[in-house]
Amino acid sequence: MFVFDTLSLVFVFLILLGVVPNLFYTFGYLPHIERKAHFLIHYITFILSMLGVVTAGNALMFLLFWELMSLTSWQLILTEAKEKSTIDAARFYFFMTHFGFVFLLLFFLIVTDGDLEAGFGAMHGVAHAFAYPTLLFFFLILGFLSKAGAVPLHVWLPYAHPAAPSPVSALMSGVMLKVAIYGMFRFLFDVLYPWPMEWGVLILVIGALSSLIGVLYALSEHDIKALLANHSIENIGIILIGFGMGMIFDALHLDKLATFAFIAALFHTFNHMSFKSLLFMGAGSVLHETHTKNIEKYGGLMKTMPVTALTFLLASVSISALPPTNGFLSEWMIFQSMLGSHAIDNMSLKLAIPFAVFALALTGGLAIACFVKAYGITFLGLHRSANARHAKEVNRPMQTGMLLMAGVVVSLMLFAPAFIGLFDRALTSLGRSSVYQAIFPDGIWHIHSVGMHGGVVSPLILLAALLLITGLLWFGYKALGVKERIHRTWACGYRTHARTQYSATGFAGPIRRFFNWLYRPEEHFVKETLAGHATKFDRSSYDVHVKPLFERSLYAGTVALANRISYYVYRLAHFEQTRYAAMIFNLMLLVLFSYRIFAHQFSWATFALESVVMIITVKVLIIGEKS
Amino acid sequence: MILYLTTLLLLLALAPMLMSFMKALKMWLLFKRPVSLLQGYRDFSKLLTKETIVSQEAGAITRAAPFLVLSPLLVALFFLPPSVKGAYYVSFVDAFTLTGLIALSAFFLMLLGLDSASSFGGMGSSREAFIAALVEPAMVLTIFSVSMMAGDLGVGQAGVNLAEHFPKAHMASYLFAAISFFILLIAENGRIPVDNPETHLELTMVHEAMILDITGVYLAIVETAASVKFVIFASLFASLFMPFGLNLPIPAALGVFVLKLFFVAAAVALVEVNTAKLRLFKVPNLLGIAIVFAFLSLITFYVLGA
Repeated sequence: MFVFDTLSLVFVFLILLGVVPNLFYTFGYLPHIERKAHFLIHYITFILSMLGVVTAGNALMFLLFWELMSLTSWQLILTEAKEKSTIDAARFYFFMTHFGFVFLLLFFLIVTDGDLEAGFGAMHGVAHAFAYPTLLFFFLILGFLSKAGAVPLHVWLPYAHPAAPSPVSALMSGVMLKVAIYGMFRFLFDVLYPWPMEWGVLILVIGALSSLIGVLYALSEHDIKALLANHSIENIGIILIGFGMGMIFDALHLDKLATFAFIAALFHTFNHMSFKSLLFMGAGSVLHETHTKNIEKYGGLMKTMPVTALTFLLASVSISALPPTNGFLSEWMIFQSMLGSHAIDNMSLKLAIPFAVFALALTGGLAIACFVKAYGITFLGLHRSANARHAKEVNRPMQTGMLLMAGVVVSLMLFAPAFIGLFDRALTSLGRSSVYQAIFPDGIWHIHSVGMHGGVVSPLILLAALLLITGLLWFGYKALGVKERIHRTWACGYRTHARTQYSATGFAGPIRRFFNWLYRPEEHFVKETLAGHATKFDRSSYDVHVKPLFERSLYAGTVALANRISYYVYRLAHFEQTRYAAMIFNLMLLVLFSYRIFAHQFSWATFALESVVMIITVKVLIIGEKS
Repeated sequence: MILYLTTLLLLLALAPMLMSFMKALKMWLLFKRPVSLLQGYRDFSKLLTKETIVSQEAGAITRAAPFLVLSPLLVALFFLPPSVKGAYYVSFVDAFTLTGLIALSAFFLMLLGLDSASSFGGMGSSREAFIAALVEPAMVLTIFSVSMMAGDLGVGQAGVNLAEHFPKAHMASYLFAAISFFILLIAENGRIPVDNPETHLELTMVHEAMILDITGVYLAIVETAASVKFVIFASLFASLFMPFGLNLPIPAALGVFVLKLFFVAAAVALVEVNTAKLRLFKVPNLLGIAIVFAFLSLITFYVLGA
């Protein structure tokens, strides 16, 4: 019924690390929520169901908890359903999560061979006997990646996660996405194990695309929670890059490199949980005090909300993958595993992987830009609105939650070797060879890459050196005994004003302009000129809105297609009743014919013949003569 | 160990002089009377004696960031390849850590720009973020390719390996990587054609715009950070792409190393005199060239082995 092997326990640990600080935060946030009972019931069930998913021992339990997790989180989004956009977001989430569920169900129906209570080990044999393992793989990734929010199934995520109350956003982005990653680990290893290289390449491509697209749309976002949600897409992409590299190395029998890449993916899973939860909590605190999600309305919050500002800074440095934080360590490991690709013999693959390196590096650069924007516009400078001016530090339980999560971030950095050891053990339990000795050949101070002539990083030494030198500089400064004078900022003779500061829109301006071909933003520029002068004006406003490409093309396109099809079906249905029978007849023909493909009785001759029969029956029976 | 610390101190001491040297060379080439090579030290000591004026709009970042801008670069200084044979060097730190440290410094510099609520600061930060985001991939790919040729990802070890076995067989990819790295050196240090270090015109400022509102010791620290960053890049270029002279006797080797640094500075100054500053939106084209050369370097290495 339940399994408690190392992989499950690792993810139970992850969920607990994410949940415990969140409980404190939620306790502080609770007075803000109107429907307390509704919220608490779903909140507790949500946490229990996530624990249930990662410990489920058979398909039935897994699907049960998975569905429970989806439904409770859907209800949690609807906790404060005052605006129509929240209800729309919840509906979108509901649809997408069940879109994924259908594929998971199909996957399990095939691999369990009807016995839903069989253990995962039993599924392995069935999956091997199945003729189309790639079909199973596609079911699996459609099911899990639609939950994890990988491109192109990510579109719901920037709507759904921000719409929930902040502690729930932190849980959804920080923890729930990781449950999908658990699913990938569990079923790829336990059920579909020896995989062809192409699957790994597909995951790598999805990962690289997700990371770039996530960070690019995060940059153009003004809603702080949507910005963070877009970063979740990016980080899931980074995890998938590590995962994909692991799958590729495994298929090529580069055992050590494969384990190293999987450890990197797991490590980034943990790191993303820690800093993304912290960021969502920080954003929630800011939102709680200023009552707006619009980043342009913040500013100067560092002076009044020091705890939030400091923890948010820690998380920002970490998510931007700057040394010596934990985010840097895992991204470093992923880079190292990609650099291990020079051990690959396949030339085309060897030449392709630098493009993934490029994508990840560009993602890193853009993430720095994005978090300078998020942090600088929110916490630095002058208050940009009255709401920001009246903000105070949040209550104690919320502060405790943030500080605890900051503690998790710091301990992931300080105890990286212990965590890597844990991940190594989890992967060993999945039948991989251990690389702990290769990563730490001489003590826990240096993390080594397992590739040939790989790099080395030593987080603790770096941290100590940075602290020491900063401290020395600071003492030097104090020793100089410099006089300090406070004066207002020089703004070329004008007073600095909240409106003369750089805005978030302006900050992302150059990057938005460079990626104009992708964004294709809708710009609204209004200028009220004075008495016919071309250059003098007293009011102007500039507003830019970016609608994501995938939403515009893929999703809007699907909706349009569905509308067209339903229109034709509607037209057919309004013909005389004989045509219903004809439609059913044709549908049966289609099912029978396509069954042959599954039953391995496929031949092109019969396929052509049957196609002709199908076309004739459709023409004669359904469409009939043109009237 | 003493040798290691001496070279570190030498690099640190040389940093302001290299900046003054570039300035002087440019002025000389433009028929102006060049500044003294000691100008950097004079500026520094003068700034130390001045009072610090802190903006009343600014928060804690303005007081903390200057230290956090300088300290990662000072840490990075410890990880550079050795300039003489036999000197101790940190062999285990790889280039990702080095670029990470430089990015950490840039991160706090950008926050510093946003803290004083001046529109110039925001403008500088925004542009810096744009340029830095595009520098990052080129940097990683160049490092990847050089480390292949050197046979080690550790920067210090790579410098030593290249000095011992100059990659004659891989001249083409080595050259491509060198071109890419030189462009990155210019872009990261805010030199013409990417940024003009001398101007205070809002249309063109990047680095200067971010530090417009800091004064006194803080300014001294941030200016030192800029010169240390140049020294880091120049000595990386000297060790990785001009790997000769390491085996000479110690004083001669040090002399050759310093000469190489001045050579890099002179090359940068020559580029500065001969080009105009690019429009901000043309900068990606230049960085695109760096990215393409980095890719070319990798591809020639893999496919042709040349």
